[in-house]
Amino acid sequence: MWQDEPKCIKDHNRRLLAEKFELKRNLYKAFIRDPELPSELREKLTAKLSKLPRNSSFTRIRNRCVFSGRPRGVYEFFRMSRIVFRTLANQGMLNGVKKASW
Amino acid sequence: MSGVGLRRLLETAVTQGVTEARARIFGHVLNPTGQRSPHKLLRKKLIGDKVSQWYPHDVTKDDPLVMAAREQERLSKLEMLKRRGKGPPKKGQGKGAAKRNKGK
Repeated sequence: MWQDEPKCIKDHNRRLLAEKFELKRNLYKAFIRDPELPSELREKLTAKLSKLPRNSSFTRIRNRCVFSGRPRGVYEFFRMSRIVFRTLANQGMLNGVKKASW
Repeated sequence: MSGVGLRRLLETAVTQGVTEARARIFGHVLNPTGQRSPHKLLRKKLIGDKVSQWYPHDVTKDDPLVMAAREQERLSKLEMLKRRGKGPPKKGQGKGAAKRNKGK
Protein backbone atom coordinates (compact mmCIF):
# COMPACT_ATOMS: atom_id res chain seq x y z
CA MET A 1 0.00 0.00 0.00
CA TRP A 2 2.12 2.78 1.27
CA GLN A 3 5.52 1.16 1.48
CA ASP A 4 7.22 3.37 -1.08
CA GLU A 5 6.06 6.70 0.24
CA PRO A 6 8.86 8.35 2.23
CA LYS A 7 6.45 10.83 3.81
CA CYS A 8 4.33 8.02 5.11
CA ILE A 9 7.36 6.31 6.54
CA LYS A 10 8.44 9.50 8.29
CA ASP A 11 4.96 9.98 9.65
CA HIS A 12 4.97 6.43 10.93
CA ASN A 13 8.28 7.05 12.71
CA ARG A 14 6.84 10.17 14.30
CA ARG A 15 3.88 8.21 15.54
CA LEU A 16 6.09 5.60 17.13
CA LEU A 17 8.20 8.24 18.84
CA ALA A 18 5.14 10.07 20.07
CA GLU A 19 3.83 6.91 21.63
CA LYS A 20 7.17 6.28 23.28
CA PHE A 21 7.52 9.70 24.88
CA GLU A 22 3.91 10.49 25.50
CA LEU A 23 3.78 9.78 29.19
CA LYS A 24 6.92 11.75 30.01
CA ARG A 25 5.81 14.65 27.90
CA ASN A 26 2.46 14.88 29.55
CA LEU A 27 4.02 14.75 33.00
CA TYR A 28 6.50 17.54 32.27
CA LYS A 29 3.90 19.73 30.69
CA ALA A 30 1.54 19.23 33.60
CA PHE A 31 4.18 20.08 36.19
CA ILE A 32 5.17 23.24 34.38
CA ARG A 33 1.65 24.53 34.57
CA ASP A 34 1.36 24.01 38.32
CA PRO A 35 1.59 27.43 39.97
CA GLU A 36 2.44 26.02 43.37
CA LEU A 37 5.81 24.52 42.51
CA PRO A 38 8.99 26.58 42.94
CA SER A 39 10.00 28.43 39.82
CA GLU A 40 13.52 26.92 39.48
CA LEU A 41 11.95 23.51 39.34
CA ARG A 42 9.54 24.72 36.71
CA GLU A 43 12.37 26.18 34.62
CA LYS A 44 14.29 22.95 34.89
CA LEU A 45 11.24 21.08 33.68
CA THR A 46 10.72 23.42 30.74
CA ALA A 47 14.34 22.76 29.76
CA LYS A 48 13.71 19.04 29.97
CA LEU A 49 10.57 19.33 27.91
CA SER A 50 12.42 21.23 25.21
CA LYS A 51 15.10 18.51 25.14
CA LEU A 52 12.61 15.84 24.15
CA PRO A 53 12.90 14.96 20.45
CA ARG A 54 10.78 17.15 18.27
CA ASN A 55 9.29 14.25 16.42
CA SER A 56 7.67 12.99 19.57
CA SER A 57 5.10 15.73 19.54
CA PHE A 58 1.55 14.85 18.63
CA THR A 59 1.15 18.05 16.68
CA ARG A 60 3.71 16.86 14.17
CA ILE A 61 1.64 13.88 13.16
CA ARG A 62 -0.57 14.08 10.13
CA ASN A 63 -3.36 11.63 9.42
CA ARG A 64 -2.39 10.50 5.94
CA CYS A 65 -4.39 8.26 3.70
CA VAL A 66 -3.40 4.68 4.33
CA PHE A 67 -3.60 3.72 0.66
CA SER A 68 -2.30 6.70 -1.23
CA GLY A 69 -0.47 8.76 1.39
CA ARG A 70 -2.57 11.84 0.69
CA PRO A 71 -2.30 14.28 3.59
CA ARG A 72 -5.50 16.16 2.88
CA GLY A 73 -9.09 15.11 2.53
CA VAL A 74 -8.57 12.12 4.79
CA TYR A 75 -11.42 10.82 6.86
CA GLU A 76 -10.30 9.62 10.26
CA PHE A 77 -12.99 6.97 10.46
CA PHE A 78 -11.83 5.23 7.28
CA ARG A 79 -8.17 6.31 7.33
CA MET A 80 -8.57 6.94 3.61
CA SER A 81 -8.55 9.93 1.38
CA ARG A 82 -11.78 10.92 -0.26
CA ILE A 83 -10.65 9.64 -3.67
CA VAL A 84 -9.70 6.17 -2.51
CA PHE A 85 -12.86 6.06 -0.44
CA ARG A 86 -14.94 6.76 -3.48
CA THR A 87 -13.25 4.10 -5.63
CA LEU A 88 -13.52 1.43 -2.99
CA ALA A 89 -17.05 2.24 -1.99
CA ASN A 90 -18.22 2.12 -5.59
CA GLN A 91 -16.61 -1.28 -6.01
CA GLY A 92 -18.47 -2.46 -2.95
CA MET A 93 -15.35 -3.19 -0.95
CA LEU A 94 -16.45 -1.15 2.04
CA ASN A 95 -18.86 -3.07 4.17
CA GLY A 96 -22.15 -1.33 4.76
CA VAL A 97 -21.34 1.74 2.69
CA LYS A 98 -23.70 2.59 -0.11
CA LYS A 99 -24.72 5.70 -1.96
CA ALA A 100 -27.00 7.85 0.12
CA SER A 101 -30.38 8.90 -1.18
CA TRP A 102 -33.26 9.97 0.92
CA MET B 1 -31.53 42.59 56.47
CA SER B 2 -28.93 41.01 58.68
CA GLY B 3 -31.20 37.97 58.63
CA VAL B 4 -30.82 37.72 54.81
CA GLY B 5 -27.04 38.05 55.09
CA LEU B 6 -26.92 35.40 57.77
CA ARG B 7 -29.02 33.07 55.65
CA ARG B 8 -26.74 33.55 52.69
CA LEU B 9 -23.73 32.88 54.89
CA LEU B 10 -25.29 29.67 56.11
CA GLU B 11 -26.14 28.62 52.54
CA THR B 12 -22.59 29.07 51.31
CA ALA B 13 -21.19 27.28 54.36
CA VAL B 14 -23.49 24.32 53.79
CA THR B 15 -22.82 24.01 50.02
CA GLN B 16 -19.08 24.35 50.51
CA GLY B 17 -19.11 21.76 53.19
CA VAL B 18 -21.04 19.41 50.95
CA THR B 19 -18.63 19.82 48.01
CA GLU B 20 -15.61 19.35 50.24
CA ALA B 21 -17.08 16.24 51.78
CA ARG B 22 -17.90 14.85 48.35
CA ALA B 23 -14.37 15.48 47.17
CA ARG B 24 -12.99 13.79 50.24
CA ILE B 25 -15.17 10.73 49.76
CA PHE B 26 -14.69 10.23 46.04
CA GLY B 27 -11.15 11.51 45.72
CA HIS B 28 -12.02 14.47 43.47
CA VAL B 29 -9.48 17.28 43.08
CA LEU B 30 -11.04 20.62 43.97
CA ASN B 31 -10.01 23.96 42.56
CA PRO B 32 -12.30 26.56 44.15
CA THR B 33 -10.11 29.54 43.22
CA GLY B 34 -9.93 28.38 39.59
CA GLN B 35 -6.15 28.70 39.29
CA ARG B 36 -4.19 26.81 36.67
CA SER B 37 -4.03 23.23 37.70
CA PRO B 38 -1.93 20.32 36.42
CA HIS B 39 -4.83 18.04 37.21
CA LYS B 40 -6.54 19.12 33.99
CA LEU B 41 -3.75 17.67 31.87
CA LEU B 42 -3.30 14.58 33.96
CA ARG B 43 -6.99 13.82 33.65
CA LYS B 44 -6.78 13.18 29.92
CA LYS B 45 -6.69 9.67 28.56
CA LEU B 46 -3.55 8.40 26.86
CA ILE B 47 -3.85 8.14 23.09
CA GLY B 48 -0.34 7.00 22.12
CA ASP B 49 -1.42 3.46 21.48
CA LYS B 50 -4.16 4.34 19.03
CA VAL B 51 -2.02 6.94 17.31
CA SER B 52 0.82 4.53 16.60
CA GLN B 53 -1.53 2.03 14.97
CA TRP B 54 -2.77 4.25 12.18
CA TYR B 55 -0.94 2.52 9.31
CA PRO B 56 -1.85 -1.14 9.04
CA HIS B 57 0.96 -3.62 8.89
CA ASP B 58 1.63 -4.67 5.32
CA VAL B 59 1.49 -8.47 5.14
CA THR B 60 3.72 -8.63 2.08
CA LYS B 61 6.55 -7.27 4.18
CA ASP B 62 6.88 -10.58 6.00
CA ASP B 63 7.44 -12.46 2.77
CA PRO B 64 11.13 -12.20 1.73
CA LEU B 65 10.44 -13.43 -1.80
CA VAL B 66 7.96 -10.71 -2.53
CA MET B 67 10.26 -8.09 -1.07
CA ALA B 68 13.16 -9.36 -3.17
CA ALA B 69 11.03 -9.26 -6.32
CA ARG B 70 9.97 -5.70 -5.58
CA GLU B 71 13.52 -4.60 -4.93
CA GLN B 72 14.59 -6.14 -8.24
CA GLU B 73 11.88 -4.29 -10.07
CA ARG B 74 12.91 -1.03 -8.50
CA LEU B 75 16.56 -1.54 -9.42
CA SER B 76 15.78 -2.55 -12.99
CA LYS B 77 13.54 0.48 -13.42
CA LEU B 78 16.34 2.70 -12.13
CA GLU B 79 18.77 1.07 -14.54
CA MET B 80 16.45 1.66 -17.48
CA LEU B 81 16.22 5.32 -16.64
CA LYS B 82 19.97 5.62 -16.24
CA ARG B 83 20.46 4.01 -19.63
CA ARG B 84 18.27 6.64 -21.19
CA GLY B 85 20.13 9.31 -19.26
CA LYS B 86 17.18 10.13 -17.01
CA GLY B 87 18.48 8.86 -13.69
CA PRO B 88 18.96 11.03 -10.59
CA PRO B 89 21.76 13.64 -10.95
CA LYS B 90 24.94 13.63 -8.91
CA LYS B 91 24.96 15.33 -5.56
CA GLY B 92 25.09 19.12 -5.93
CA GLN B 93 24.05 19.07 -9.58
CA GLY B 94 20.29 19.03 -9.31
CA LYS B 95 18.14 22.08 -10.02
CA GLY B 96 17.73 23.23 -6.43
CA ALA B 97 21.31 22.53 -5.40
CA ALA B 98 22.72 24.30 -8.48
CA LYS B 99 20.64 27.38 -7.76
CA ARG B 100 21.77 27.38 -4.16
CA ASN B 101 25.44 27.08 -5.09
CA LYS B 102 25.21 29.68 -7.81
CA GLY B 103 23.54 32.16 -5.50
CA LYS B 104 26.30 31.68 -2.93
